[in-house]
Amino acid sequence: MDGFSSQRKLISFVCLIGGAILAIAGLGMAIGKTGNPLRGAAIILGVVAFFVGLYLFPTLKHHRSIVNIIFLFPLLFAFAVTVIIPLVLGIGYSFTNWDGIRVRGFVGLDNYIRMFKQPSFLWSILITFLFVVFNIIFVNLIAFLLALLCTSRIKGLGFFRASYFLPNLIGGIVLGYIWQFIFSSVVTKFTTALFDSRYSMLSETKTAFVAIVIVYIWQYAGYIMLIYITGLNTIPGDVLEASAIDGADAMQTLFSIKIPMIAPTITICTFLTLTSAFKQFDVNLALTNGTGSVASFFGNYLTNGTEMLALNIYSTAVINNEYAFGEAKAVLFFIILAIVSIVQVRISNKKEVEL
Amino acid sequence: MKKKLLSVILACTMAVSLAACGSSAATGTDAGSADAGAAEAADAGNADAGAASGAAGSVRLLNGKPEIDAQLQELAKKYNAETGNSVTIETIGGDTNASDELKKMYQTDNMPDIFVIEANQAATWDGMLADLTGEAWTNDTDYELVDSKMGTIGFPYTVEATALAYNADILDKAGVDPASLTSPDAWKKAVETIDSKKADLGITAVFGWCAEPANLGWSSGTHVFAQYLDAGLKQDDTTYIDLLNDGGQIDEKRMHDFAEFVGMMNQYSDPDLLVDGTYDNQVAGFAAGKYAFVTQGNWINGTVTSSADYSGFDMGFAPYAFEDGIDTIIAGPPSYWTVYSDGNVDGAKTFLQWVSDDSAQDILVNQAGLISPFNDCKFDAADPFYASIKGYMDAGKTSGWHTMLKKDGLQNETCQVFADYAQGKFDADSFTSTMAQVIKSYYAN
Repeated sequence: MDGFSSQRKLISFVCLIGGAILAIAGLGMAIGKTGNPLRGAAIILGVVAFFVGLYLFPTLKHHRSIVNIIFLFPLLFAFAVTVIIPLVLGIGYSFTNWDGIRVRGFVGLDNYIRMFKQPSFLWSILITFLFVVFNIIFVNLIAFLLALLCTSRIKGLGFFRASYFLPNLIGGIVLGYIWQFIFSSVVTKFTTALFDSRYSMLSETKTAFVAIVIVYIWQYAGYIMLIYITGLNTIPGDVLEASAIDGADAMQTLFSIKIPMIAPTITICTFLTLTSAFKQFDVNLALTNGTGSVASFFGNYLTNGTEMLALNIYSTAVINNEYAFGEAKAVLFFIILAIVSIVQVRISNKKEVEL
Repeated sequence: MKKKLLSVILACTMAVSLAACGSSAATGTDAGSADAGAAEAADAGNADAGAASGAAGSVRLLNGKPEIDAQLQELAKKYNAETGNSVTIETIGGDTNASDELKKMYQTDNMPDIFVIEANQAATWDGMLADLTGEAWTNDTDYELVDSKMGTIGFPYTVEATALAYNADILDKAGVDPASLTSPDAWKKAVETIDSKKADLGITAVFGWCAEPANLGWSSGTHVFAQYLDAGLKQDDTTYIDLLNDGGQIDEKRMHDFAEFVGMMNQYSDPDLLVDGTYDNQVAGFAAGKYAFVTQGNWINGTVTSSADYSGFDMGFAPYAFEDGIDTIIAGPPSYWTVYSDGNVDGAKTFLQWVSDDSAQDILVNQAGLISPFNDCKFDAADPFYASIKGYMDAGKTSGWHTMLKKDGLQNETCQVFADYAQGKFDADSFTSTMAQVIKSYYAN
């Protein structure tokens, strides 16, 4: 009835069963810490044999889906190993008191309850939101103005575009240290002369926060500018020409033609700045390392005036050596970012429909 | 069919070769040069060659001080030449923290036999550290790390000291005897004297004290704070660290006296350095003779003596005498070598015993410039602070590094209080009360 030779059936079953046994044996050796040097080869050979068996599996009906699985497997496997498994493990660790070495016990929701009782963490959430709001407004505004400038007919356009984009190519840590020098050694010269304040912007929480916003805009505005330039360049020339013939001045062209025409670009840029500002870490670390005092927050004197969420998670886990507590904070961070991303996808989809 | 067979064979060959690569790489890691950018591949090879001949087998050591990596490689060669046993040195350094690297090594089942820890990390490793009680070297030193439950667990490989480092030339010219600086009044008088002669002495300020929190938080939050915990106490006196670790309590009176002293340092420090300075500026300023005192420890010696502005002045330490009669400096091992109990414990013990003896001390003291924690060491360290530290050690006037036992991360909280005090936001009273609140809430959370 079926068109498969008994030889092929045999190969298929032998490969499937043999491969599975070999792979499990290899895994067993690895988990059992036997130190057997053949364990790696056993796992790989077993998996390969298993897939060969799967490929030769005597079925016509499912052959196509088996091939699909075989081709998707490397990708799914890599995704599982690098994203899914760490995510699950991380959520699991957040319910324990893991110290980076051993799990000593299960603590249930203690870490989650504890973090909302920690004024310094609440402060971190607060200033992260503040930072996000400031950044969405200023990065987009400045990037848009730069994009307008870089699409006008000025000389040396290429030079300007390149130089506005350049800061984005410098890593955040390097940038942070460069600006730290500027703020503490150069800007102080001016502030001493003008306001008689000898101390740098970085030594005071409010001004240090402003400093981080400035550096971040400097780093990120060029990148967003490029996207705006692309958006502005896609505005059809005939529309602009028609408006010019109708006598629209520059302002009218900007507000009634250009901005409505690049609405999707604005949405994209808003979400790009939103998510990247949320995840702000490197400039924060290099520029202030989260320092700065808050005289009174819920009646507490805080010492982490400029510490944003990502940095707070890092220092909880790595500096304070409370890995599980850091994990719990990271899970909350993940939830916040997931909500932002879902909203973003929803809104982008709606816009696409409207267009 | 033939084609298919061929492709199967090819696939298998690829898999085997991949697996072979994988396992040989793993063996390479086991043998030594673990990731982490250690720069010892060549030596590891040499060391392995001799592994078979020694009785104690080969040992891996994780070193946390990159500045002595080259000297430790020398040490490994000499150990191999003298005993036939081998030791592989892996160095973690720069911004990579040895304790983070150890966690990775533990998770990947790649633990070294000997590794470096700071005293407060011992608890996280409990049950995994070998008890070294009864080793011969423990009789020759007062600085081993002893835990009440785990026994003797830490081997001291160096002594570091911190207090107010002074420039002897400047004090001499100003007519101040550092030995007299054992009370707040004496300090006040001396500081005022030096300050009044600033122009003659060619100095910028009396103190090179920097309370900048972002990059120098370890200095104020750990080392200067250490003086509150230990100044004036015996080496094994844990009064204030016990109080601190009991829910974050402080002794208000002692903290207040300490605050007055820090207030004096704030007042007479270089204002450009005080709030926004860097470690480099601080040490360079001291080397150039711009400050009479600097708030660091003997680890600055290399930077100072290699500075182009260094005039060859003598250096020493003066105590933070914020209460009458404080005449000790903090000296001891800031970190220890511990032995992993599942590793080659006997080999590690043999190696540590050898390190405590003369031929190894020769390298550590004369080449690496460390100060030996062993009483029977016959070498004098090249460190310019050595004479001063040795004086305190011989007189028994050293206090412990109990600051390393405070809760992890506390320095990042307290350093901000120092910074605000330096900016003039606090007086001694509010410094004390803020410190109390910050520490209390850090321990509570």
